Amino acid sequence: MWRYLGRRLIQVPLVLVVVSLMTFLITRATPGDPVQIMLGMQTSKEAAEAMRKEFNLDRSLPEQYALWIGKVVQGDLGRSIRLNDPVTSLLAERLPVSLQLAASAMAFALLVSIPLGVIAALRRNSWIDYLCTGYTVAGFAIPNFGLALILIYVFSIQLDWLPITGIGTAEQVSGGLWTYIKPFIIPAIALGTLQTAILTRLLRSSMIDVLSQDYMRTARAKGLLPATIIVVHALKNAMIPFVTMAAIQFGYMIGIQVTIEYIFAVPGMGSAVLNAVVNRDFPVIQGFTLVISAFFLFANIMADLFYALLDPRIRY
Amino acid sequence: MAVVQPSSPATPYRITGSFVLAARQFPRHRAAMVGLVLLVLICLAAALAPWIAPYDPVQIKLSAKLKPPSFEHLLGTDHFGRDVFSRLIYGGRTSLSVGVLVVVFAFVLGVPLGLASGYFGGRIDNLLMRLVDAFLTFPPLLLAVALVGLLGPDIQNVMLALGLVQAPVLARIVRGSTLAVREDVYVTAARALGAGPARIVLSHILRNVMSPIVVQLTIVFSAAVVAEASLSFLGFGTQPPQPSWGRDMSEARRFLGDAPWMFMAPTGIIMLCVLSINFLGDGLRDALDPRAWRTRRQLSKGEG
Repeated sequence: MWRYLGRRLIQVPLVLVVVSLMTFLITRATPGDPVQIMLGMQTSKEAAEAMRKEFNLDRSLPEQYALWIGKVVQGDLGRSIRLNDPVTSLLAERLPVSLQLAASAMAFALLVSIPLGVIAALRRNSWIDYLCTGYTVAGFAIPNFGLALILIYVFSIQLDWLPITGIGTAEQVSGGLWTYIKPFIIPAIALGTLQTAILTRLLRSSMIDVLSQDYMRTARAKGLLPATIIVVHALKNAMIPFVTMAAIQFGYMIGIQVTIEYIFAVPGMGSAVLNAVVNRDFPVIQGFTLVISAFFLFANIMADLFYALLDPRIRY
Repeated sequence: MAVVQPSSPATPYRITGSFVLAARQFPRHRAAMVGLVLLVLICLAAALAPWIAPYDPVQIKLSAKLKPPSFEHLLGTDHFGRDVFSRLIYGGRTSLSVGVLVVVFAFVLGVPLGLASGYFGGRIDNLLMRLVDAFLTFPPLLLAVALVGLLGPDIQNVMLALGLVQAPVLARIVRGSTLAVREDVYVTAARALGAGPARIVLSHILRNVMSPIVVQLTIVFSAAVVAEASLSFLGFGTQPPQPSWGRDMSEARRFLGDAPWMFMAPTGIIMLCVLSINFLGDGLRDALDPRAWRTRRQLSKGEG
């Protein structure tokens, strides 16, 4: 397994080089000049030239890429053309916010999917199973921004229970636990519902699969407590694909939360990329996509690792 | 792939093609039929929009703004007094045509790549799959946002971006299925009979990897509808005043408390659309997989 892990880890930089090359080409091949957008139309040629020189935009494309990747290897992602800040410090601001949002959405997904999936599997064709099916079917179909609007309408506007904005603000961080959690609730539900649907359906089917295994009958025949049988024998085995899927989905979250960040004014990675794309802020686009891709790759490797750790039968 | 089916005892065995069998199986899937009917209705409404829509979708009438649903305006009006129902019908034209074109694009780009990668293997496979890997590590929506944002917010660019996002997924699925059937006996037989790679791939392999392709294309379609709405919602897709489900929801954010019908109507239609495609996909998957075929008796007993 360690050899397999090593092989996977060696591939990571390779994939990242391809990713960075693709982002680089996409940004350079498309219309739009960051300097012109930044300085406006009325600037002197000299000012524009100076700025191009500053960000190496006057050099040939291979040179630009080589200079950039040479810095990246040393942990320097360049400077934002728009904000003139190092991309790494922008990242240090944005990444924790995005991770918190992703983690809260995943927490919601786990809190709902584990009990719902298990009970639906244990009580097949009962009302709770139908509820589970209905929830997953609806969860797959509703776009997260539509759900976000519905939740805002019900819980913020009509009931006035929960705030709409507030993630990443100073008051949120300095306040107590509830002040901290409150603004995450609606975005987490809106963002996590699709994952909840995916995970619930997966857990229900793998649980049903496990429950029909021979060792379940053996456990019952031994006279073990039903709770022991369900938790120790069934759930533990049914959790193997579940944990893997949860890890993969977590890797996905940062990339799909852009609509949620947009609605709830979250200062996260997605909205930063959105702004960078509008302003053609090449260093930010390149740096952020690289980090998001790396995050996704590691989540996938973690998923494989979990798989091997939880199931001793799996050998890579 | 054909199944020998006994017809009446007097006549000899007749060979029925697998797609005919699948087509016979499909109507037994109740949810899939519901999905199909709903989808056809939505498509018809979009296609016949000029005749069905009660109002002009871009006609501004400020005296009738933010009116709740009534007989006059079935789903109410928006902040410019435009009829929400009419906008919904016209908005479907964009969403659905984006969906269809993304499916076509993904098919044209993804299937040949997957077939080549799976059939030839070796260096071609390695190169293509590393490229696919790189594409798949980009978060799909963000990649689409970046492409559309950089190319300019235009519906053709939306289609291009979504197609580029979806094609690698399809390519990987086709590659996997191709690998599975590449060593099948009939492929060896065809090769032994002197068939060239083009003939083997097109008439023997493609036929047998069609089922996963069809199922994946339904997923591509619903993903494209949602992604188009997301892009328009973020301001990167359809531009105002053209009606668009996603764009209209974005506008509705400013009137959440005053005019909730403005965001509920597009949300509902997107959900309905995705739901019916998903049901259709489930039905197709079952119909195309002989192991999932159910007899009438099993169905009436409520098994499976």
